Amino acid sequence: MCGGPSNLLRVTLPALEAALLEAVVARALGSGGDFAEVFVEDSVGLGMRLEDGKVEQTSGGHEYGAAVRLNSGDRTYYAYTDEVDEAGLFEAATAVAAGLRSGAAGATTKLGAERSEPGRHPVQVPPETVPIVRKRDLLHAADDVARGSSPLVGQVIAGYSEGRQRVLIANSLGDVVRDDRTRVRFIVTVIARRDGIIQTGYQTIGGSAGFEILDEKAVTETAVKAAGKAVIMLDARPAPMGAMPVVLANGFGGTLFHEACGHGLEADAIAKGASIYAGRMGELVAAPIVNAYDDGSLVNGWGSAAFDDEGVPTRKTMVIEEGRLCSYLYDRLRARSAGAEPTGNGRRQSFRHVPLPRMTTTCIAPGDATPEAIIAATAHGFYAKSLAGGQVEPASGNFVFGVSEGYLIEKGKVTTPLRGATLVGNGIDILKQIDMIAADFDVKSGICGKDGQGVPVGTGQATLRIRQMTVGGTG
Amino acid sequence: MFDVVDKALDLALAQGADEAEVYASTSTSRRIKVYGGEVEELTAARHKGVGVRVVSGGAAGYAYSSDTAPSALETTAARALEHARVSDHDPHVALADPGSAPPQLDIFDERLTRATDEQKIDIALALERAALGHDKRVKLVEDTMYADDDTEVFLASSKGVRGTYRENSCFLFAYVLAEQDGQVDTGLSYSIGRDISELQPQACGREAAQRACDLLGGRQCPSMKATVVLDPFVAASFIGVLSAALTADAVQKGRSLFAALEGKEVAGAGVNLCDDGLRPDGLASAPFDGEGTSCRRTPLIQGGVLTGFLYDVYTARKAGRQSTGNGLRSSYRSMPQVRPTNLIVEGAATPLADVIAGIEHGVLVSSAVGVHSGANPVSGEFSVGINGRLIEAGRLSTAVREVTLAGDIISMLKGIVAFGDDARWIPGGSIFTPSIVIEGMSIGGA
Repeated sequence: MCGGPSNLLRVTLPALEAALLEAVVARALGSGGDFAEVFVEDSVGLGMRLEDGKVEQTSGGHEYGAAVRLNSGDRTYYAYTDEVDEAGLFEAATAVAAGLRSGAAGATTKLGAERSEPGRHPVQVPPETVPIVRKRDLLHAADDVARGSSPLVGQVIAGYSEGRQRVLIANSLGDVVRDDRTRVRFIVTVIARRDGIIQTGYQTIGGSAGFEILDEKAVTETAVKAAGKAVIMLDARPAPMGAMPVVLANGFGGTLFHEACGHGLEADAIAKGASIYAGRMGELVAAPIVNAYDDGSLVNGWGSAAFDDEGVPTRKTMVIEEGRLCSYLYDRLRARSAGAEPTGNGRRQSFRHVPLPRMTTTCIAPGDATPEAIIAATAHGFYAKSLAGGQVEPASGNFVFGVSEGYLIEKGKVTTPLRGATLVGNGIDILKQIDMIAADFDVKSGICGKDGQGVPVGTGQATLRIRQMTVGGTG
Repeated sequence: MFDVVDKALDLALAQGADEAEVYASTSTSRRIKVYGGEVEELTAARHKGVGVRVVSGGAAGYAYSSDTAPSALETTAARALEHARVSDHDPHVALADPGSAPPQLDIFDERLTRATDEQKIDIALALERAALGHDKRVKLVEDTMYADDDTEVFLASSKGVRGTYRENSCFLFAYVLAEQDGQVDTGLSYSIGRDISELQPQACGREAAQRACDLLGGRQCPSMKATVVLDPFVAASFIGVLSAALTADAVQKGRSLFAALEGKEVAGAGVNLCDDGLRPDGLASAPFDGEGTSCRRTPLIQGGVLTGFLYDVYTARKAGRQSTGNGLRSSYRSMPQVRPTNLIVEGAATPLADVIAGIEHGVLVSSAVGVHSGANPVSGEFSVGINGRLIEAGRLSTAVREVTLAGDIISMLKGIVAFGDDARWIPGGSIFTPSIVIEGMSIGGA
């Protein structure tokens, strides 16, 4: 018995027959509304963590719950419960209906045929079938490799997590969707120290996939890269302050687009006019060489699923084409208000969370330059190899990124490592200043937080150059 | 829920655990958002769950379940044991010993249980109106939220720990956008209480609006070394980052910048910081922590000197000390982690107007973006984006934006020279702090 005993996955039990789901939806719409939905979730998860050479926190569990949602115009009434039976579901449906009390019952459609797409994100080795000791051994392997790579490595924190989330979504449009999501992730953080200087390096592998993405080779590479980053940054000198050309490396650099642009394209910010991208459809919001998209259907992507958390099939949505804004990212509610099609971006952390328009895997499309050519064309600048994370205010477009691994560019060459740098700017300004994009496209995984909900997201980007950007440093 | 707790405890011991501890909670909550004078979202929730921690063969394992039926408890206990078997042996792993009776705390207000959704909606609407009506430059209130929570906790262990408490709280939050000449700035504010009668929608709305309007017309300023005043909101976000380094867990694992500094001077002479899990007005207060250790007041920095760290049972055993009651859980899904309860910043207060009047050249910082991503809790270095107002010749002047504030945590703490008289609670990390005045900070601008 490891990971998730399959007999716990009761979403498949006949207790949630179509007739019951239909009755719950109808009850929710009993005093009015445009749309009602039942969301049932059955999740098992496992998390293991190694620090100080010891696997010290192994934790996992099972959650089974349901939410009933009612929309009336732009209003949302939401109730959730972990009593997933007839009584619990009706109680939740009654609660949302009581919130509205508008009078005449809203319209529902008889539930249609159930849809699911097993195999859209193939899982070759379900993680719950892998002995737990094998997972522990990988954590120790990462620790050994990272420590063995340099005597300067002082601490290694390695984490493994797996989760399987099965959802059942039924709504008043007649949709019934089941989705079965398996995700695994491996994270290595290395702390290196020398003469009182401490630096950290971070590397991760993750996907909507099975244990097949984690083997000794993948884990070893991850640990070596994390250690390498921490060690090289020990030689870093304080980053300078001021405006300069910035070259963003592939992979982690995609956080730039996610923060600086992506959040402002989420349709809830647009609906309230609380985004710099509101009312600018068709306008140039980036340099003409910039093409950008969100892709929740990316096969085995960490931020992918077959359907979003409202039962809409995930897809690739172009948001910027040749520098022009061409779509926002919609959930059902905001799409209905805007008269647009939902784009498969209605996501929620769990049944305890109201769905919101959220990014999945957000990418700037690759160009045809080489990273070497971009560096060589930069006389003086800053090379941001890894970003630590960032924050943005969608309303103003102002953002800040921490740079965990950065270097000076001098005379077209990457030279001294620089520490303590942040990149500060404004979304539209920065995208308009992108003047070179390479072909070395890569996607990295992360967790994005918004309104108290964390969801898995990917960021994809090739090496690119921003003509001028403010670097905030301590030197 | 003690029947569930006792059942799970029996099952864990019957399956072979050396020691076991079961934490269960039930809660109800409301979250109401309003927008444009109407309800935007109303979420009604009820949840419960159980977490089982076992010690077996000198290692700990944890498992949780939202299902508290006997069969689910059996599976959960079995998983906890499996997780213990795969974890490494550690001589310091242990559950808490029962202590003296935990303190009685006034953290539950019966009145909140009688508040109706209509009353809560009215408060949220009043908050939005107050913000919208405060200044004609207010463009919209992007988020206006009322939320409350009523939680009952049950804890028991094979060592004889047994306790329960109920606590409730409510809060208001407003996030305002103000616009002038095409430039948008934002401001936020909170109001907290244990009953809706304690919430202050008018003051909260006006403050959020004023904070947004204060930033309008901002420009980059030149790079400089200057005195900065961190307002309580910004001060709290920095304290949140540095508090992670004040846990014994971070110290013992070599990821605290304070590791070798106990008994040493780490801050300005007037700086006091303590963790206080007993303040009735602090939303993180509780009679006991997630392991059953009584909560208490723990001084961390006194007169600028680092006097101690925060411990749970494990880190205390490792260091040969006593737990400070800081083994906290965020829910039944998490095993205890060393974290602060309420953090209280104390120092001699100077009226804020006098503080500003005494600054020749400085910046009043009212918003910092990227504190969590731009600050390294291990090295203490940080560089964050800030918004605020310039202080020139003792007066607030134009707003500044797109500038960075950079330095390292220890130099920053040592640069603290004064505190404002505006101490208040900032939720999130449950931090009580006034404005903090710091000399010699690097501002990166044009």
